[in-house]
Amino acid sequence: MHGIAASQPYVIALFLVWAGLMKLLSRRMRARAGHTALARLVGPARAVPAFRLVALAELAVAAALLLPPLLPLEAAAAAALCAGFLAYLAYSHVAAPASSCGCLGAHSRPVDLRAFARAAFLLVASLLALPADPGPPLVPLALAETAVLLALSAELDRHWLVPFRRLLVRLRRPLTAAPAGDVPLAASLHLLHRSPAYCSASAQLTTDVQDTWDEDGLRFVVYGARERTAVFAVPLAGDDPSAVRVSLVREPTQV
Amino acid sequence: MRSRRDLLKSAVLGGGAGVVAATALGSLGPEAAFAASGPELEPGAPDPDFAEGRIRSIKDNTLLVLGSNAVFHRIRVVDGTSLWKLGPVPFDQAKPGDGLYARGVRMPDGELAAESVWLNIVNIKGHITNIKDQTLHLDHHGKEVLCHVIAGKSVAIRSDAPPSADLSMLKVSQHVQILGAWRPDTNEVDIATVFSPH
Repeated sequence: MHGIAASQPYVIALFLVWAGLMKLLSRRMRARAGHTALARLVGPARAVPAFRLVALAELAVAAALLLPPLLPLEAAAAAALCAGFLAYLAYSHVAAPASSCGCLGAHSRPVDLRAFARAAFLLVASLLALPADPGPPLVPLALAETAVLLALSAELDRHWLVPFRRLLVRLRRPLTAAPAGDVPLAASLHLLHRSPAYCSASAQLTTDVQDTWDEDGLRFVVYGARERTAVFAVPLAGDDPSAVRVSLVREPTQV
Repeated sequence: MRSRRDLLKSAVLGGGAGVVAATALGSLGPEAAFAASGPELEPGAPDPDFAEGRIRSIKDNTLLVLGSNAVFHRIRVVDGTSLWKLGPVPFDQAKPGDGLYARGVRMPDGELAAESVWLNIVNIKGHITNIKDQTLHLDHHGKEVLCHVIAGKSVAIRSDAPPSADLSMLKVSQHVQILGAWRPDTNEVDIATVFSPH
């Protein structure tokens, strides 16, 4: 157990300082304060002052944790703060499920499992820091904990998760599976909609596409046109809209 | 079906034209073109010729649909009705549980004789959070939607280029709009068209 308790204050303080400075200094954060769950809790007009108060509390606890001597009282204050975060996250999940939490910077993502996991992780770290521990802090442990907490922070996703996923997409090329040989219907409809034939008949059409089939290099597209049927012949190859042909047919069986 | 298709094919290949002649249409005046649009609607009043909801049951050729505003609709599907479910489909593709939008003509008995029915059609905007195999993970207002690429059906429209079956230009974190067919009671959608601004 030597060193475990001694490592925690640094990890907790790092995140508290980050959270406090973002709340105090970030202009984007102030601009978005009205969209957070805290604005729902205290009212939009009081959101910015409320964020400043929370920031001061976070910075005060962080300073107490970092400055020796380390007292159990300070770890208890950190634990109380983290328990408060968890309660606030639970509140925002229930009362404002579409709002972001505003915990460590501005982003538009609502509270999710990762936000809860991060707050719970910090709470556990604060509780671990409670027993008096004279040992030196374990640097690898503190770094590993920090890495886990950073990975749980949605605020940082655009710096590592998005580039990482883009890299994976570039390496794996998931959507480059050879497209089926046939022309998608949407491509034919795009050509059809730009054709003089469609423009001349479109005011008569009363339905969406009723039927479509391919034959002899042409795609036939059938629409209902009041008591008649409009049939278009769209070339499968080429992109000349004037090659589209149309006929209005009165079918004896049609109602 | 074969003979009807042959009839239509011979009509368009035999007598078909680049444009429809005025004689084929009757009057070309705007009154004629919009003659069937019926009386003007009061702004805000529900359109009697439109229905939306989810199919509760199917009886012969009638769909019994419960609207999202708890109004019950009976929608009759006839020979001339177009059905869409990721593309034109026959009537047997309509299943209880499917959501729909329908447009047609309201009959005196309250039934809607449908001209067009769109099954499970959705139009959603969001950010691509991940691309795996043939699936786009879309963040739509904080909710994850899995959008499946269907070979031969899904197309991408990039800016104002023509639709293409090649979706490989889609990137993680970009904004897209997806027109597709919802898989009922899931957060999954089959893609008809992905609109990509760039």
